[in-house]
Amino acid sequence: MEALLEYAYVVVLLPLISAAAIAAFGKQLPWKGAELGIAALGIGWLMSVGIAWQTFMNSPMEPVEEFFRWSPLGGGFVFELGMLVDGLTAMMLLLVTTVSLMVHIYSREYMKGEVRFTYFYAMLSLFTFSMLVLVIANNLLQAVIGWELVGLCSFLLIGFYWEEKSNQDAANKAFLTTKFGDVGLIVGVIVLSAGMFGLTDTPFNIIEINQAATDGLLSTSTIVLGMLLIFLGCISKSGQMPLHVWLPDAMAGPTPVSALIHAATMVTAGVFLLARLFPVLAQSALVMGVIAIVGVITLFFGGLLALVQDDLKKILAYSTISQLGYMVAAIGVGGYTASIFHLFTHGFFKALLFLGAGSLIHAVHSNNISDMGGMRKAMPHTFWTFIIGSLALAGFPLTAGFFSKDEILIAGEIWAGGGFLTGNLVYWIGLAAAGVTTFYMARACFLVFAGENRSHHPPHESGKQMVGPLMLLAVLSVASGYLLSPFSPDQPNFETWTQTPILDGDAVYPFTVDETVAFGVQGDGVIASSGSVLAAEAGDGPVSVLHGVPSWHPDLLAIVLVIFSLAVFLAWRFYGKGLPEKDPMLQMGPVTRALVAKYGFDDFGYRYIVVPVRDVLSRWATTSSNTYIDGAVAGVGKATKSAAMATYRTIDQKVIDGAVNGSALSAAWWSDRLKRIQSGDVQRYAGAIVAGVIVLVLAFAAAR
Amino acid sequence: MANILTITIALPLLGALALAFLPEGSDDRAIKVVGVVASAAAFVASLVALAGFEFGDGGFQLEESFAWIPAIGANFSLAVDGVSLLLILLTTLLTPLILIASFASVTDRLKGYVASFLVLEAAVIGVFAATDLLLFYVFFEFTLIPMYLIIGIWGGKDRRAAAVKFFLYTLLGGLLMLVAVLYLFTQAGSFGYQDVLALELSQTEQRWLFTAFALAFAVKVPLFPVHTWLPDAHTEAPTGGSVFLAGVLLKMGTFGLLRYALPFFPDATVEFAPWLLGISVVGILYGAIVALMQSDIKKLIAYSSVSHMGFVVLGTFALNATATSASVVQMVNHGLSTGALFLLIGFLYERRHTRQISAFGGLAKRVPIMAGLWLLVSMSALALPGLNGFVGEFPILLGTFQTNRTAAVLASFGAVLAALYLLWAYQRMFHGPLEGADNENTSDLKRSEIGVLAPLVILIVAIGLYPKPMFDLVEPAVDRVLSEVGVDTTLDLDPVASTDAEG
Repeated sequence: MEALLEYAYVVVLLPLISAAAIAAFGKQLPWKGAELGIAALGIGWLMSVGIAWQTFMNSPMEPVEEFFRWSPLGGGFVFELGMLVDGLTAMMLLLVTTVSLMVHIYSREYMKGEVRFTYFYAMLSLFTFSMLVLVIANNLLQAVIGWELVGLCSFLLIGFYWEEKSNQDAANKAFLTTKFGDVGLIVGVIVLSAGMFGLTDTPFNIIEINQAATDGLLSTSTIVLGMLLIFLGCISKSGQMPLHVWLPDAMAGPTPVSALIHAATMVTAGVFLLARLFPVLAQSALVMGVIAIVGVITLFFGGLLALVQDDLKKILAYSTISQLGYMVAAIGVGGYTASIFHLFTHGFFKALLFLGAGSLIHAVHSNNISDMGGMRKAMPHTFWTFIIGSLALAGFPLTAGFFSKDEILIAGEIWAGGGFLTGNLVYWIGLAAAGVTTFYMARACFLVFAGENRSHHPPHESGKQMVGPLMLLAVLSVASGYLLSPFSPDQPNFETWTQTPILDGDAVYPFTVDETVAFGVQGDGVIASSGSVLAAEAGDGPVSVLHGVPSWHPDLLAIVLVIFSLAVFLAWRFYGKGLPEKDPMLQMGPVTRALVAKYGFDDFGYRYIVVPVRDVLSRWATTSSNTYIDGAVAGVGKATKSAAMATYRTIDQKVIDGAVNGSALSAAWWSDRLKRIQSGDVQRYAGAIVAGVIVLVLAFAAAR
Repeated sequence: MANILTITIALPLLGALALAFLPEGSDDRAIKVVGVVASAAAFVASLVALAGFEFGDGGFQLEESFAWIPAIGANFSLAVDGVSLLLILLTTLLTPLILIASFASVTDRLKGYVASFLVLEAAVIGVFAATDLLLFYVFFEFTLIPMYLIIGIWGGKDRRAAAVKFFLYTLLGGLLMLVAVLYLFTQAGSFGYQDVLALELSQTEQRWLFTAFALAFAVKVPLFPVHTWLPDAHTEAPTGGSVFLAGVLLKMGTFGLLRYALPFFPDATVEFAPWLLGISVVGILYGAIVALMQSDIKKLIAYSSVSHMGFVVLGTFALNATATSASVVQMVNHGLSTGALFLLIGFLYERRHTRQISAFGGLAKRVPIMAGLWLLVSMSALALPGLNGFVGEFPILLGTFQTNRTAAVLASFGAVLAALYLLWAYQRMFHGPLEGADNENTSDLKRSEIGVLAPLVILIVAIGLYPKPMFDLVEPAVDRVLSEVGVDTTLDLDPVASTDAEG
């Protein structure tokens, strides 16, 4: 088993091989290439389970790092290619391969009969490969490569039905918005590596960067500038406001793609990267504050947007934005474990919800919940699994979402105890947003499953290949939460599994030293502790956070249950009996208007960014190039011509008379040559030049 | 092998000579064979040169010299360093591909066309290999003539204006350089590279001479604001001419800056570097913004060249081992990806006889192979990691960041704009509903066309995945040039000395 970790790269390479094989001869196979993808992911999944088991049972353990110095990049920079296998990597490997395998299996039925079926499978495999390149990277440059490749796959899959212009527009919007953030990421990586330059010849190495940051070898400006720029990449990739605008549009892609890429894996890449570099960003209160605030804004305002949507996939997309906001906010309040724990559980239940939505859409041929209704009886398996997913998303007690979301709220509470306002924001706004989440999911569930069937098709349950993955994901949507719950053992659990060894020791947050309330983190530097320990110490003297399994928080549990019941009750009142004449969500006056207009971000972006660049700036630049610069050149040309003409007429003809020199540059010479070209005399001309040159060359060679 | 460089130059010329003696009205087949064989032979010869080249040595190698004009001490002397060898390889690789790609479309006066390309190839190799200033100048200026003919005879309908504009622009730049070359000769008493390099020039002299050289090269690159000849030349040139222009001729400018302007005039270089960085950044953004607006796909790619070549100059004048090495790598990358794009445009033009983006739509359904290759090459041009563009552009930004942060940050937005214009163009041409009989009837790439693109596409992927050989070849030579400018290129790993690089 030990040796399995050394071969973790095989998990990454398998989908690359299957992608190539599917592209090469997938069409000739009985399943049109799907079998190759499923087989590769199946093996990869088994290996990932083994790796997860190995790292989990032996946690905490030293990371396994293997790399080779792949290529110099000039000036002493080295581009490494390698892998870093620790609990965080193992967790991501498990998540990505599980969801990807489920999507691979599910898509065989869902995508049946699509024109580009084989291409679809090749792209799924290619995406999985790219994502794994990112999660296994031992250095930031490799991570950037994976990061950009997943963006490319996302672009190609959003625009999968490219015959429709709107789909391609969505794909472009996604690619360009994330590309904007990618520039931030790339410059951020450059900033960090510039700070590392001189310390090492592998300045992209993640472990070395983390180590240098905790050792205080990186200057504050490097850390703040570098991490904020990298965070810009996370904002665009992980759908944080205001660069979230592409994610709802990305739902134009096939639903399995939405499940895999735009819910469970790619969009969490930003959070993953923040987790990887947590020791660096933990050096700066400013960076953590910005991250927390962006996360809080997103988790709240992103969730509200789901209230007015009719398209089931868009409801889920906005909920993804909101949940990603939780993860990002958690990072900003020191909730490293809470954040990636939520990433982990969210991956399962959101993939479940999307695949469930796919099953519904498959049955009624519409994305709109107003076209569904009464699906409970016709689609019992889809119904039950979807409800489990919704409960997990809403954070209903004892589901996975409950444990992970509460971890985040508690992380906020702890941070607040250290005297940071952002902690309070995460706690209270997080709670409020949980109510919003429950309400919009309850609204969707009532409209989809209760009441009368409003679709134009007789609904039918999906086949085994679609229901099977739903059931497995439903199990995981509950079970995954018990990796870190009051029921978990002290060791091993999710926290010991994914902790960052670099954070061993004290004083993770150096900026807290100067605060009036000192706030040190002991032990493994991971905040996932029981709130009760804190509650006792909050406010008086240094707050000491201990790690360990979470304890029960009756107060929080009570609030959560009250909010949950209230939200479900409201939703039942409005939607319990089917689609109301007037949806109350659309009767809220200015609030509805703001939400329907998506707060005006899309419109703003189009009116004040796209249009000015495309129609004004670009037009102006073109004109300046064609009119002013060319005009100036033409002016010079004319002046030269008249000067030459004058030379020719006065000096040449009258003074020198007959000399060839002057005429060589004159307009007459030009027109003469051009006439010859026109008249086809050129062959001789070219021939003469060729002959002349060759004679010259030979003559000089001989004259040696 | 002795005199391998002279042989590499002579082979295409011999081909051109053979064509000249080919009887009038002879079979086109014979012309094609001569052209391909001669240019392929030159490629093999340059591979022989590569085999004889010692990696890790940054100086001139494979030196050969013949007396040329003994009266003024001008020699026919050639030698290569890693940079020039790489560019020679690019030239000799592209030429046979260009010729093969042209045969389908060029039927008029084929002999002259092939001969022009062979002569052009020889002249460009000469530019890269010359170590005698006068010889360099002659080769440099001589490239104008065949290129002028290629645009002026086999070009589009506004070819005359474009050809004249091209000629005027580059000739004027060249004349300034001639004055500078002659001045250097009077000072050094020789045209030899090493003799000129050994000159101790005053700051004032350096300023003037640098300006003269830099202007000549800036026109060739072309740098903003002397770029306006390029879009016209590209649009009017036949496919082969565009590929050669973008793939090789533009590199003469950036090569010249690195080979001559930097080491000859180190003080002026350091003094003017910020200005050139500024101009490069403006060019990167300006070229990209203008590209957005173009309705003619060839013009769009032409303006993208202005943007991409801006990156090369940015890297060169960052005066940093990383950025400057990468800028040489990027010269090759730009040649490959833009060359491939122009080939694709040419293939599409042969089918449709239009280059208006609005005339196309939904083509991916009919031409999946062309669409796939187009997308791949576009991704290379917009520097997608894993493809060659990234291994050039990223280290340029990385290195530039160390010497001039503002320039690096501003330049990085060129990448967003590149994504914008390339994807937008791709989308408009290949995606969307397939409408109209013309689009319906467009046929996919033929085997021969795929064959021409294959070497470029393979290199685009291979360099992206494994750039080590390129950097190994280029870096020692770049370090040599930078040490002439006074830049320390040794890597200091003393943690105490550089604990706080931020300062």
